[in-house]
Amino acid sequence: MEVLARIPQLLVYGLVSGSILSLGGIGVSLTYSILGFSNFAHGDVMALGAYLALALLPLMSAAGISNHPLGSLSFGLDFVAALVLATMGTCAVGLVLDRVLFRRLRGAGRITLMIATVGVALGLRNVLQFFWGPQPRYYSAKIQLAAVIPGLGIRIKPDQVFIVSTAVGLAVLLHLFLRYTKIGKAMRATADNASLARISGINTERVIAWTWIIGSALAAVAGVLIGIENKFVTPELGWQMLLPIFAAVILGGFGNPYGAVVGGMAVGVSEEVSTAFISAAYKPAVAFVILILMLLARPTGLLGRRS
Amino acid sequence: MSLLSVRGVESGYGDMQVLYGIDLDVEAGQIITIIGPNGAGKSTLMKTVFGLLKPTKGRIEFEGREITGLSADRIVRRGLAYVPQVENIFPSLTVCENLEMGVFIGDRVPLGRLDQIYELFPSLVTRKRMRVGKMSGGERQMVAMGRALMLDPRLLMLDEPSAALAPNFTATIFERIVAINKAGTAILIVEQNAKESLRISHRGCVFAAGLKCFEDSGPAILANKDIGRLYLGGE
Repeated sequence: MEVLARIPQLLVYGLVSGSILSLGGIGVSLTYSILGFSNFAHGDVMALGAYLALALLPLMSAAGISNHPLGSLSFGLDFVAALVLATMGTCAVGLVLDRVLFRRLRGAGRITLMIATVGVALGLRNVLQFFWGPQPRYYSAKIQLAAVIPGLGIRIKPDQVFIVSTAVGLAVLLHLFLRYTKIGKAMRATADNASLARISGINTERVIAWTWIIGSALAAVAGVLIGIENKFVTPELGWQMLLPIFAAVILGGFGNPYGAVVGGMAVGVSEEVSTAFISAAYKPAVAFVILILMLLARPTGLLGRRS
Repeated sequence: MSLLSVRGVESGYGDMQVLYGIDLDVEAGQIITIIGPNGAGKSTLMKTVFGLLKPTKGRIEFEGREITGLSADRIVRRGLAYVPQVENIFPSLTVCENLEMGVFIGDRVPLGRLDQIYELFPSLVTRKRMRVGKMSGGERQMVAMGRALMLDPRLLMLDEPSAALAPNFTATIFERIVAINKAGTAILIVEQNAKESLRISHRGCVFAAGLKCFEDSGPAILANKDIGRLYLGGE
């Protein structure tokens, strides 16, 4: 009974880490559906966003933006400004990567592209390590007390509410973008059939640019959210997230951004709930088990198209 | 001056040459059908005209301006439209969204044009919000043609529009092709089951082994015994 009593609390933790996995997974899924390759650099793009925010934070206070904590959150307006600028910076890096590297590899084989993304991953990680060192860097030294939800006895920190609502808000925005804007519809059309998209007059290079912008932006936010949850960032943070993110994307259906959200939540919750039964050290193995079971049982994923 | 003029075009897939010097003219307002066996180069010509394959030799002009080797999205802007034989719709998009993709290069969706397309294909009206992937072959073909017609092209190229359609749909599709042509659009059709198509065509061409080996008016080709025996399945 004691084990079962912990489950509601673990579900909340699962929702928090699932939110972050979902944001990361959307980018992997969009890149796969439109550009046709698995981006193993995505985790390190998340880390880049997290470090850009870290670097920009002191500049924000210097620019006169208040660092007084917002409500009961552990950070102030300066951090939100740093988050926004870091997101924009990461988008710019994504676009540059496409321009100088991936554009030259359009039409190249999947293996070539996969190796290129591994190269980018290693490159980004080492740049972060070069400038900020391998040791953890702290966003904030403050300790935040968790609030207890009355009646349920579930403890949740205000920062965690911020993480979940940011992720949900961005997922809704992405849905509206894909459903109702011209470029969003063109992205879905290109994912459906890239050659027909070109025949229809869709400028597929513009679609690809938007794919990098959206994927990089959500990655940067996910990276910063990891920093908020853990209080610190390391150059390895994105690489460590890559496996659960791929498990989430495969679970949801590769190439389907909605699937990435469902898969992200499912992997996040499974990892956290598993700690009620087995040691927390096995968390990464849980993602592996989900990945293997899904590939065996239904390789197209929960929301994937059966072909 | 022809609407579309193809001169000495050689093209193919990588090292595999398919077209060996094709000459072809499409006049404004006409329907032309290309017939010929598998591998004759009919589809290859369409892909080459539309910039999906780069010709190794020859010249393609549209309304007197060269379009050889332009990218597909620039060719669309010149007033050509193309419906491939397969994978000619966006399955996860709705009917309405498929049609909207046809006017991506414009600033906004011309609502009047959308209405004209629904007038042309009335059975699509009640399915505007339906995903095209769930629809039948005939309905998909209508969506594909509607998508291509959104920009009111001066030349519409159709690759096997009746392939894999139920017979009653085939009749509807050809009747619609005539209606589109009456509204002023020239049409280039590639067909294997060509009798129906030649009946509505002003001219017909026979392709064999990457060359145009015969050209005449539609009725004359239908009446030609040799061609009938070789390419139209006997009497």
